[in-house]
Amino acid sequence: MAVANETYQPGTTPAGLAFRESWAEWFDRHSRTFFIAPAVTLILIFAIFPTFYSIVFALSRVRFSATGLRFRFVWFDNFLAQFSGNEQTHFLGRTTEIGIFGAIFALACLIAALWWLYKSYRNGATWVGMTGRVISAAMFVFVAFLLGATLLSGNPWGTLLTTLFYVIVGCTLQFIIGTALAFLCSQPIAGKSFFRVLFFIPLMITPLGVGYAFKMVLDITKGPLQPLWDYVGLQNWAWSTDAWAARWFVILGDSWQWIPFIFIVMLAALETVPKDHVEAAQVDGASSIQIFREITWPQIVPVAVTVILIRMIEAFKIVDLPNIMTSGGPGIATESMTLHSYFLWRANDMGSSAAVAYLLLILTVVVCASFFNYVVLGQLRKVK
Amino acid sequence: MVSATTGVPVNFEGIEKSFGAVRVLEELSLKVAPGEFLVLLGASGSGKTTALRILAGLETASSGRVLIGGRDVTDILPKYRDVSMVFQSYALYPHKTVAENIGFPLKVRKVPTAERDVAVKEAASQVQIDMLLDRYPRQLSGGQRQRVALARAMVRRPSVFLMDEPLSNLDAKLRGHMRAELKHMQSTLGTTTIYVTHDQIEAMTLAHRVAILEKGVLQQLDTPAKIYNDPANLFVAQFIGSPPMNVVHGSLEASAFKTTGASVSLPVSGSIAKAILGVRPEDCAVVAPSKGNIRGEIYAVELIGDHTLVTVKTGADMLTVKASKEFSGAIGENIGISVVKDRLFVFDAATGARVR
Amino acid sequence: MSDTAFRFDKAERSLMERLFEPPAVGRMSPVAKVVAYSLLVFWAIFVIFPIYWVVITAFKDAAAVNQGPFYIPFVDFQPNLDAWRVHISSDPYCDVYAIGRQFVLYAYNSVAFILSPVVSIQPMEPQICKLYLAFSNSLVIGIAATALCVTIGSMAAYALARVQYKPKFGNVVVFVVLTLLMIVATSYAGIPWYFSAAVALALFFLLARAFGKHFKASLSNGDILFWMISQRILPPIVVIIPVYMMFQSVGLLDTHLGLIIIYAVANLPIVVWLMHDFFASLPIELEESAQLDGCTRFGIFWEIVLPLTRPGLAATTLLTLILNWNEYLFAVFLSTSKAQTMPIMVAAKNAGEKGILWWEMCAVIVVMIIPVIIMAIILQRFISKGVLMGAVKG
Repeated sequence: MAVANETYQPGTTPAGLAFRESWAEWFDRHSRTFFIAPAVTLILIFAIFPTFYSIVFALSRVRFSATGLRFRFVWFDNFLAQFSGNEQTHFLGRTTEIGIFGAIFALACLIAALWWLYKSYRNGATWVGMTGRVISAAMFVFVAFLLGATLLSGNPWGTLLTTLFYVIVGCTLQFIIGTALAFLCSQPIAGKSFFRVLFFIPLMITPLGVGYAFKMVLDITKGPLQPLWDYVGLQNWAWSTDAWAARWFVILGDSWQWIPFIFIVMLAALETVPKDHVEAAQVDGASSIQIFREITWPQIVPVAVTVILIRMIEAFKIVDLPNIMTSGGPGIATESMTLHSYFLWRANDMGSSAAVAYLLLILTVVVCASFFNYVVLGQLRKVK
Repeated sequence: MVSATTGVPVNFEGIEKSFGAVRVLEELSLKVAPGEFLVLLGASGSGKTTALRILAGLETASSGRVLIGGRDVTDILPKYRDVSMVFQSYALYPHKTVAENIGFPLKVRKVPTAERDVAVKEAASQVQIDMLLDRYPRQLSGGQRQRVALARAMVRRPSVFLMDEPLSNLDAKLRGHMRAELKHMQSTLGTTTIYVTHDQIEAMTLAHRVAILEKGVLQQLDTPAKIYNDPANLFVAQFIGSPPMNVVHGSLEASAFKTTGASVSLPVSGSIAKAILGVRPEDCAVVAPSKGNIRGEIYAVELIGDHTLVTVKTGADMLTVKASKEFSGAIGENIGISVVKDRLFVFDAATGARVR
Repeated sequence: MSDTAFRFDKAERSLMERLFEPPAVGRMSPVAKVVAYSLLVFWAIFVIFPIYWVVITAFKDAAAVNQGPFYIPFVDFQPNLDAWRVHISSDPYCDVYAIGRQFVLYAYNSVAFILSPVVSIQPMEPQICKLYLAFSNSLVIGIAATALCVTIGSMAAYALARVQYKPKFGNVVVFVVLTLLMIVATSYAGIPWYFSAAVALALFFLLARAFGKHFKASLSNGDILFWMISQRILPPIVVIIPVYMMFQSVGLLDTHLGLIIIYAVANLPIVVWLMHDFFASLPIELEESAQLDGCTRFGIFWEIVLPLTRPGLAATTLLTLILNWNEYLFAVFLSTSKAQTMPIMVAAKNAGEKGILWWEMCAVIVVMIIPVIIMAIILQRFISKGVLMGAVKG
């Protein structure tokens, strides 16, 4: 390079930089590494490594000793305990006597799943796609059987179905109400910006505070609704001892917090729909509900499914609300899987705790990946 | 006034570039003389911008070498090449004022503030934007932004100016004005300039030499006059000139071009079954049907102002003739066209090559 | 065409039509208006009421809480500052300068921590009331974690938007295998973790050098981006026990640094996801121009790219800050006393023998949610301007 430097005469000052590699130079040359390395390193050490480390916990019996933790490898004992051992009622629910409705429901779901697999096979799915579909279908059938054996046969269910209840019922409810509110706020109404700000606030309040606030507000004897409970003759009732009431009240608190999320995103999506499309429909004489159904909705479906996916991912992690409002009770009726794992950890059963956490991870990944592959991608492809 | 610098030569040596399976440039070899204003002309997708970006260092060539001032810069980062570039979108930093925009290249090079201010003022006054130094780009008109971009490019006295369609975002009137200024500025500074455009008028008016690219292949590299008067092939002949050169399909037999109902004798020898005769509209004249070399009927008559364009249909071809502004004729009327004999070009229809 | 379509005179319309039809395009019919406003007002009450109840409870005394519901201050019950006195004036260390003292202490202890390998300085013990301690802890941890997360996350997002990475698939496999081997060696064979980690790291670089070249398959930027964002799917409970053990072995339990790191990692996916979108939508000419002008990569990032994404950066920062401020699960596992944050302090009010001290708890919640509501109002502006929308559109 020295030779090139001699023959090369840059213009008068201030012109080209002298060509030599200083440390700043070296830093710049490797900047691509420095840009991404911190993030990758942090994720590897504090997310990926612990995830792997968790496997060891889940496959071991862990005991504290003077020198630290002692691991004893027990294969899949911790997992098997959740499915068939002494933890079964806690995790899956009581599945001893299967009723006729439950059996019919489970069989119907099995047939539907098989039919779906057969159809995708006929439509020429790749072997990767087929494997994914088999996993999704297996999970679906498993949950269906569980539902048939517990709820539909009059048995209590476990933390797995409670978590799914929060996810599916909660997301559906929140999506419907959130979208409806967004639709209302996109109409020509006065005080739009006030409602917008107000409706957004619950999302930002700590879930812990939400839990305590609802525990207080829903208190039968000291809460603000006490006259109402009196009026309907429920002054001696305690919703925290009624499994279904407790579940629905947890969903109520969760919805209070999360509807704003759906609302704000759907409102922003509604406002990006081109104005001339709506105006054209107005000139054609469509009512605002018709306009929503025919013009606006098809354009915001991709955002809608994405927002459901995000909400679902977060919903699987639910822990603060049931912990505070009901401590998972009555019994285990409102216990989510995260809470289940937390209680096991507190009881020093780290192996089972890690196993339940892992099962939650598997459940989350399968459900979210299925939703992403079969719903979100399909909608996004339709747009592009 | 800024003193002129002696320009540096720029060489492309067998530059090839492909994106995946798509070959964008094929064996491009060019020598740009010091202080020359070279225009790379071509339609979109011809590889002209890629060539410029390879020279700037924003793309790496698949093979071949680039030399600036005799130094091989093929694998050297853009900042060591001592080139500056004006982008089609101007690429002004929206969060910096005009003065900060112009001074940015100097700031990066850690030029002292006082010195920098002098240089910025000088560059700004050269493009007549001294009164806009405190404004932000969004407060400027298109023409003013263009000037800021030019000032930023020249403030650090690069060895080579690169310009990527810098005038294409301006309206027609301003474009003409800026063209003249650009040409004046370049000749004052004497900096080697490589200018990419798809506009043949820009190319003809600005360039010392024009390089015409098509599908990544260099078609012709010559002065504007030579390109216009002596095109190397059919593509160049048709690309340059407005309205474009007329073409007549026919055959070349023993120094005469034969087409349906006409024969023109030519100073070329040889015979080609499928040949094309090219003649520019201003080298044709409208005459009585019996007198012309080619006969046809009038398809359209357009009065432009100082002349009239007469479109004549002959066989399968349409010919445009530049006639006087007094010309009048009805559509469908039979007419003859006479051509200037030594201003005719013959091309091989199969290859597009010029037959001399 | 029926003639009803052409009635221009308002008087000709029936009552039903006047009620259900909008008077003009872009307006609402009377009935629709009534329905819409009643729904909105109902929802507004539903949103406000729990917050209102928390705020008034913070100004009640034990009697006003326990003797059934009282709704309106000064009418139903006499508000007082009992709950606040418990937190502030009855605590000897709570004066106006306490927070100032606490930040001096943070600075002193940070220096002590940094210099600890060289000289041993005893860290100062906090002399501050619990509320201030928790508040300043939350503030320090929240801001530091947000700064770390946004810096690192936007750097990675920018690089993924502009630079091509091609990590070899084989190296990823090697990394996974070595990590598993290291974990097994540490937990079952009892090898010290620092030893096995060092060996695994050395082996990884050796093997990556030796075998990396032979692997054809490589990952793309899209894969890395997906990998980073998908970390959000990971339930915190999966990593929390191992992280607890890791922190225990390096002394990060109940420290600010530990929480800062783990909060930063937890929010990295969100930052990368949102910022990547902003960076990708910037015109690339600006960066190319700066590159020709002689800017370094980092210079371009700092001088050109970051200022241009300022609104997006602000919105992302605010969102991350709020998430960090509210975080509970990590805090409850990883902090016990010194690094206790606000949520822990709230939950602590549940542990009394006399049941929940609602008024005291509500006072803490009020302190906690006031900054958040201010931030939420600012953030809402960004969202309604569509600043965060690009990412959701997918």
